[in-house]
Amino acid sequence: MIINHPLLGPRDAAEFVIMGDASRIERPPGSVEDNADAFHDHLYLRDNPAGLHRELWYHEQGDRSWLVVTRDTLTHEVVQVDLARDVARSKGRSR
Amino acid sequence: MASIRLQAKPVLDVNIEIGGVRIRERDDLALVSVAGATSLDWLEMPTPTMSTEAGDMRAISIAQDQVMLIFQHRTPDAERVVRKRLNDGYTTDQTDVWVVLEVEGPYVRDGLERICPLDLHPEEFSIGSAARTVMEHMGAMIVRTGTDRFLLLSARSSAKSFLHAVETSFKNVA
Amino acid sequence: MTQDFRIDGGLIDRSRRVRFTWNGVDMFGHPGDTLASALLANGKRLVGRSFKYHRPRGIFSAGPEEPNALTQVGRGAAQEPNTRATVQELYDGLYATSQNHRGPLEFDLMSVTDLMAPFFGAGFYYKTFMWPAKLWEKLYEPAIRASAGLGRLSGLPDPDSYDHGYLHCDILIIGAGPAGLSAALAAGRAGARVILADEDFLFGGRLNAETYEVDGHAGATWATTATAELAAMPNVRIMPRTTAYGAFDHGIYGALERKTDHLPEARGKPRQVLWRIYSKRAILAAGATERGIAFGNNDRPGVMLSGAVRAYANRWGVAPGKKLAILTNNDDGWRTARDLKAKGVQIATIVDTRSDVAHTLDQTDIRTGTAIADVTGRKGVTGIVLESGYRIEADCLAVSGGWSPNVHLTCHQRGRPTWRDDIAAFVPGADLPTGMTIAGAANGAMTLAAALHEGHTKGAEIAADLGHSNAPGAPAKAEDEPFAITPFWHVTKSTKRAWVDLQNDVTTKDIKLSQQEGFHSVEHLKRYTTLGMATDQGKTSNVLGLAIMAEATGKTIAETGTTIFRPPYTPVPIGAFAGRARGKDFRPFRLTPSHDWATEQGATFVEAGMWLRAQWFARDGEKGWRDSVDREVEMTRNGVGICDVTTLGKIDVQGKDAAEFLNRVYANPFLKLPVGKVRYGLMLREDGIVYDDGTTARLSETHFVMTTTTANAVLVFRNLEFARQCLWPDLDVHLISTTDGWAQFAVAGPKSRALSSKVVDDLDLSNDGFPFMACAECTVFGGTPARLFRISFSGELAYEIAVPARFGDAMIRALMQVGEEFDAVPYGTEALSVMRIEKGHVAGNELTGQTTALMMGLDGMVSKKKDAIGTLMSRREEMVRDDGMRLVGLRPVDRSVNLNAGAHFLTKGDPADMAHDQGWMTSVAYSPELKHSIGLGYLKRGTERMGEIIHAYDPVRGKDTEVEVVSSHHIDPEGERQRG
Repeated sequence: MIINHPLLGPRDAAEFVIMGDASRIERPPGSVEDNADAFHDHLYLRDNPAGLHRELWYHEQGDRSWLVVTRDTLTHEVVQVDLARDVARSKGRSR
Repeated sequence: MASIRLQAKPVLDVNIEIGGVRIRERDDLALVSVAGATSLDWLEMPTPTMSTEAGDMRAISIAQDQVMLIFQHRTPDAERVVRKRLNDGYTTDQTDVWVVLEVEGPYVRDGLERICPLDLHPEEFSIGSAARTVMEHMGAMIVRTGTDRFLLLSARSSAKSFLHAVETSFKNVA
Repeated sequence: MTQDFRIDGGLIDRSRRVRFTWNGVDMFGHPGDTLASALLANGKRLVGRSFKYHRPRGIFSAGPEEPNALTQVGRGAAQEPNTRATVQELYDGLYATSQNHRGPLEFDLMSVTDLMAPFFGAGFYYKTFMWPAKLWEKLYEPAIRASAGLGRLSGLPDPDSYDHGYLHCDILIIGAGPAGLSAALAAGRAGARVILADEDFLFGGRLNAETYEVDGHAGATWATTATAELAAMPNVRIMPRTTAYGAFDHGIYGALERKTDHLPEARGKPRQVLWRIYSKRAILAAGATERGIAFGNNDRPGVMLSGAVRAYANRWGVAPGKKLAILTNNDDGWRTARDLKAKGVQIATIVDTRSDVAHTLDQTDIRTGTAIADVTGRKGVTGIVLESGYRIEADCLAVSGGWSPNVHLTCHQRGRPTWRDDIAAFVPGADLPTGMTIAGAANGAMTLAAALHEGHTKGAEIAADLGHSNAPGAPAKAEDEPFAITPFWHVTKSTKRAWVDLQNDVTTKDIKLSQQEGFHSVEHLKRYTTLGMATDQGKTSNVLGLAIMAEATGKTIAETGTTIFRPPYTPVPIGAFAGRARGKDFRPFRLTPSHDWATEQGATFVEAGMWLRAQWFARDGEKGWRDSVDREVEMTRNGVGICDVTTLGKIDVQGKDAAEFLNRVYANPFLKLPVGKVRYGLMLREDGIVYDDGTTARLSETHFVMTTTTANAVLVFRNLEFARQCLWPDLDVHLISTTDGWAQFAVAGPKSRALSSKVVDDLDLSNDGFPFMACAECTVFGGTPARLFRISFSGELAYEIAVPARFGDAMIRALMQVGEEFDAVPYGTEALSVMRIEKGHVAGNELTGQTTALMMGLDGMVSKKKDAIGTLMSRREEMVRDDGMRLVGLRPVDRSVNLNAGAHFLTKGDPADMAHDQGWMTSVAYSPELKHSIGLGYLKRGTERMGEIIHAYDPVRGKDTEVEVVSSHHIDPEGERQRG
């Protein structure tokens, strides 16, 4: 597989490590004591789509960027690749 | 213990030729990374894939907001040298984190294509290009410093395995 | 032997002889020969035995599709089974033997199985060996294993070496026949970066086997000229002897280049190179493969594919027979007749199954609208018998059942070929691997002119598409030869067994049986009969088999469909996949800065992940490792010991928000850690489980140095980057791994202060001046930069001193020199482990991925006041149960007994079953200080059970030991030593 890194261009997937569903970015606030249910859902409930899937890949043998890769699980086609940091910011994550 | 002084030691101390390709350790080079700097006064910031050069100092991008400065400097105070010239950013001396091999020769690409997954064709990886990748399971950086010359960086602790991988590659195509 | 079957012509160098040995007999051929062409030239028709029935078999094809002529090439450790004689280049000294027989090839003892064939039909194994079940392991399987298998391995380590490599191109062209060469010329001239790969050693494909003309030259000559033009282009890489064996995601192809298989000596070079080719686009110009027709005894040596007979005559100057019969259902058979006749070979008869045939051939026996029912001769054809019963003498029978495009690589991403009636063949379907285009016969363009044209057009188009706009030149021209076929699959009038799949001994009867027993689908057919399995993957038999199935079920072939292909296209040696990753090159080693010194000291090393660490340093007179380890522990605890701890992960954490960041990734607070201090930190997964621990030192307001466990260094860094980039992208914090940058040594024991004081320049190391958990940037030995930490894993007064790794070797030598007056001892990982178990420090054995801070008695560290990774989930109900596991110490009631890790705890009097399981022993050691075995373990409600006697039950080792529950801090529970 090849992942088209937004900064570096196409790189072999062998340089990357996958972590799974990109929803891991949307961590609920842990400071709220009764947020256990939200954390449960965040940690354990995953969609398993036959089709487009947004997943986190880490360029471990590269520039150490976390990427959000939109991949078709049926064809392995990589439809889009974004820097996870940009995705996180677009979801309102900051400090 | 005034009588004892610690002597630095190159990790490989290698300078050999295989099939017209010279492989040597560049333990004269210091590596200092600068994180979070917006600019350098004396050197243009490198792009993610292309290094910049000024005098004997080269800057390569090693992560989204980190550059590494490579320059000739033998004493273990390279970080201070860089920090003095900075306006912002955080420095780390990485000289001892890496081993630096220089490989040079007309057939250098023939050997490298056995271990380097990147396209080193001059149109794709011109002089000054720099990248991090993996070679024989070892994290590595590669910088093209000439038509037939590259710097290869890999972790110091696995330097012997890395040299073995590089040597084998050139022996296999020699 | 003499080459009785050599005829004129061919692309071989007759001026030179190449000697080889076949089944112990010396023969010769010429450069340019394959083993198969040389065997045929020497009159060898019987070359092997079949897999199941041990029937005599000969060479069937002239290419990679060969089902029969599998040979064992080489001797001793270097021998390789299942080498297709049809693609093995002849070299001087080649040593080959036939396979699949006991006793000599001519008198195979196993051929008795052929007489028992009625019992061995499709599904034989499934039906026969079902009962009685207990005989399977003892009788059936060993018997089957002894008689099954293709070829034999040497059983010795492979003496050859293999390599991997990476190639990049705009266009990968697979196949250097007319279509591939045309495509490469067009794309290469246009300026594209082209790789042209062909499995053959000679480019040209069928042009070398035919008598066609291209651009007014002999086809083979044109191919040579085209190859030379391509070789001269700097943007084109030509790769003969290279099989593209798989089409993978996103334009990545696997290719096997045979570097030395055609040479007498590898001369130390890798035998084969497995390439990973990254292509923007690919053109599959893999040509087509001829298939047979099923009729009685069609597997006899001398029955060959028509195109192969022609190839042997035209390319290799070999007539596979002196009296040639031909059976065809298409125009191909006629070409064979003409070419061979022109070379002076006698044509015994041409049998065309079609009634309406436009061809004629002077002075030749021609029979149309009929077929061949049987073949006479057992170890070689002596004649053919027509459907009418009429016998004609012949010593070779060329059969053409039509040509099947080589669609294999188009299927590697699950593409399904579609049937074309006009050429009676499957062609690539619409669903192709990303970036792949098909040209030539592989695409169903079955004539030379069409292949040349299609190759050129597609090569030029794709090059232009990729922005290469130089002139592609004119396409090569050739006459359009006729190509007409009327499908004819098998001779129903045959009463003898008719073979479909020669390699797997599948007959027409087996296919009908499969249909009768309900295995209609092509996938079931394949598994039930083994049609299309093994090394040739049914290249000559698949279409024939499913055509017969279609006939049996009354469906069309299009409705019946086809199985699809997976990589590899042809077999790839496991050694090629392994590449260099063998023996000590299996993976890289990481060496500590004191490695050379430790080697000089005679240290025993242990693999810890990729690291080699000194495990202990044996001294003269010590009888076993325990002697060494006990001594190292005692000398450290009573004096001072030195240990290389460089392997611990070190991460530079810098930034204005570094403290805030650490406070969120560690379960315990870090915001207020003062500069010059170190804190032990506990790292949780988001689900609340502890996954790593270590100390973090604050060197300045904005600079921390984190340590991780050796094993988790990479994982922690990855997770920190995740937190930094994905969770809190705007914190000002930066991470750099510096594990290898610092040579770090633990100096531990009551005399460590005295020793360290002689090492460190200008720093007050008194307990007040540099207390427990202090850290500083300093210098050692008169100016070498260093970092000093007062931390202790052993529980003793201890320091860790780090210097830049380039000084590591000098540092260990200097430390030992200075340490002489204190009788300093180097200690290894084993002593390190003993001391941490004595002290009750957790390590990998305790951090199992199921352990919580509460279980380790460290729940007090998990802050409730802040939101850090995993803190909220660590307070889940199930994780804070009062009756949960707790870390305790264990000691044997009988102090002379040794404990074992892995033993399970049982309350006294309880039965030994899982329902009464009370926990398990995680770590054990012999404590030189306490003079008995000690352990750590997790025990239900452990903290409430101090003093209780329980059982450590170990059924694996057959042990049941009474142990007393004690504090996990076996020594110095108050921590007075490390603080002293």
